[in-house]
Amino acid sequence: MLRSFKSAALGATAAIALATSAIAGPYDAYEGETLIVNFPAHPHFDAVMKILPEFTKETGIEVEVDQLPYLKMRERQTLELAQDEGEYDLIAYVVFSKADYVYANQLENLARYFMNPKLADPSYDADDLIDGYVYNIGFAGGNKGYLEGKTGSLYGIPYGSETSILGYRKDIFEKHGLEVPETYDEMLEIACKIPELEPGMGGLSSRAASGHHASHAFLLHLAPLGGRVFDDQWTPIVNNAAGVQAAEALKTIVDCGPEGAASFGFGEALGSFLNGDTAMFLDTTVVAGQINDPKKSQVVGKVGWAMHPMGVRRGSQTGGFGIGIPANAENKDAAFLLMQWLTSKKGDKLVALAGGNPSRFSTHADADVNAKFPHMATFGEALQHADPDWRPIIPVWGKINADLGTTLSKVLTEGLDVQTALDGVAERTKAVMEEAGYYTWQ
Amino acid sequence: MNTANRLAPYMFMAPAAVIMGLCLLYPLGYMIYGSFLDWNPSQSIGEADFVGFKNYINLFFDPAFRESLGVTLTFAVSVVIAELVIGVGLALLLDRNIRGMSLLRTLFILPMMIAPVVVGLMWRYMYHPTVGTFNRFLKSIGLEGVDWLGQNALLSVIIADIWQWTPFIFILSLAALQSLPRSALEAARIDGATNWQQIVYIKIPLMMPVLIVTALLRLIDAFKVLEVILVMTEGGPGLSTEIVALRISRTATEFRELGTAAAMSNYLLILLLLLTVAMFAFTRFQDARAARLARQVQEEG
Repeated sequence: MLRSFKSAALGATAAIALATSAIAGPYDAYEGETLIVNFPAHPHFDAVMKILPEFTKETGIEVEVDQLPYLKMRERQTLELAQDEGEYDLIAYVVFSKADYVYANQLENLARYFMNPKLADPSYDADDLIDGYVYNIGFAGGNKGYLEGKTGSLYGIPYGSETSILGYRKDIFEKHGLEVPETYDEMLEIACKIPELEPGMGGLSSRAASGHHASHAFLLHLAPLGGRVFDDQWTPIVNNAAGVQAAEALKTIVDCGPEGAASFGFGEALGSFLNGDTAMFLDTTVVAGQINDPKKSQVVGKVGWAMHPMGVRRGSQTGGFGIGIPANAENKDAAFLLMQWLTSKKGDKLVALAGGNPSRFSTHADADVNAKFPHMATFGEALQHADPDWRPIIPVWGKINADLGTTLSKVLTEGLDVQTALDGVAERTKAVMEEAGYYTWQ
Repeated sequence: MNTANRLAPYMFMAPAAVIMGLCLLYPLGYMIYGSFLDWNPSQSIGEADFVGFKNYINLFFDPAFRESLGVTLTFAVSVVIAELVIGVGLALLLDRNIRGMSLLRTLFILPMMIAPVVVGLMWRYMYHPTVGTFNRFLKSIGLEGVDWLGQNALLSVIIADIWQWTPFIFILSLAALQSLPRSALEAARIDGATNWQQIVYIKIPLMMPVLIVTALLRLIDAFKVLEVILVMTEGGPGLSTEIVALRISRTATEFRELGTAAAMSNYLLILLLLLTVAMFAFTRFQDARAARLARQVQEEG
């Protein structure tokens, strides 16, 4: 009797355990765990901070955020990722870091997480993620080593990504009967017409300061004007006709820009547009929030948005951040769950409503998001043309980028001839590439 | 017993010597060893390839590094000369009993106490082409605005450094002035020396040892200035304000070439070492000269 009671009890316990495991949620096994994540101080990640409590409420997984200025963040990560056991479970990284981290085997390949039925959410809909962003920020090992391609795979997911967009002063354009520029020729013409029509006002505010800023501004024009930094054999072609045209476009913009434009970094260029000192702004989508914030902007309600003008093709920039799991992370599975939740349709919409940059096409088309941020539809359209190859993401890029930026700065401030300047950059770039082994197979 | 006595001082010194060895020589040795490697920050030092003197040779022929070195020398020499002239001038003017002198002195040294990043930001905003203090002032009196951080970036950076560090020279010069032997000055005054003659023939020569040391200290410091320039111009336009310290920082973080950055630091270290040796040699020369003069006076007496 006792024996049969015992076996019945055991059977019942087993049945309950089985039933419980059958209905267990994907997050149950990780409830109570604390993830340590490293995010930058950036408007998108400020919005992320607002939605993280929702994740904890839904999953029971706690998240501790180490938020750092983004240059500091990169330094910290470089140190952390080289340790045997790292402090971070999930990191946000700038697009440049992709090449360094993947090459040093410091980021997890995401294949085995998306293959794991207990972790991967079948309704995730990865095809809805913006192609240009995924290949630019998350993909490695494909064509040229950093683009989409049959040999590539996924190491991160775009999160806090940006593309370029043209902001213009609706009131000024209406006042003078100007059409919103569709092409580069139109944009440059208007940029130089504005100072004549509105004395004291610059045409277009652009970054132009020595180094990264000038290089960024140049590359922004290079892709739509049909240029590239390298051809398929890694030969620098930055000094071809398209390159010269892009540098001349930058010089025209700076010459017709606000006073002191040649020394503007991103902050000054944006500040000049926010203060109403310039009529146009061609840069990242991340500024939309600040332009609509009356505390920071004197042009609230006066700014219209248009696609990055076309040269011989459409090609807006891709940049910003992605999130990935460090190879030395302690709680990788839970980190993946957080990553998946943040970049899911639900998470993406939540962060967009909180003022962040969405990473999905569907979020850009979402009615609620558009009702709150009417510019989102134009941004979504621009994203169709986001160009993941507008700048190369290779380990030696930092050095080439600095040289390009300082040389262009000499063009803008010291009157160095454009062709001579770019020929010099091409020659020095070739030496850097040769030393790094890019011509081994030639 | 005797041996123990002889060893005792060394035993007492040992902990300090060990700590100094660890804290000073180990990082220095690490940097020197690192300068012979092709080393990126994602690698541990053990994984980096040994490349011998390649980093030093590359740097020697690198026009950007040479330009940086030129900018550093121009910057350092200009600021030290300007700061010496203004600092000593101010000290000569204020070497008198003025009411509230201690308050004035505190006010004068305030710029030195401000964090360099704040100084950089402050000057960057004051130099702003449209909303900056300087251009607004120039425009209000009907003059053209100046492109401070564009066409005149190096000059602008030099002005900011002079503003921050002149007080250092001022305060040391004032201390030197106030400790000068009053007898010499009184004798000169009785002999009918004018104020200007007193300055040129008595005060400045007597202050010279202090001034030389102060100038060398400032020169060493000026070679290493980083934050103010980083915040104000990031080294631009072109490479016109990219001093070596900034290039080292960019080489390590942007270019991710730790070996080259270490080699650059070593070049800077050698330069600073030469300056320091020159400083010590000068003070020793001064001491020897003073001793010789004293001996002569004694012998004549």
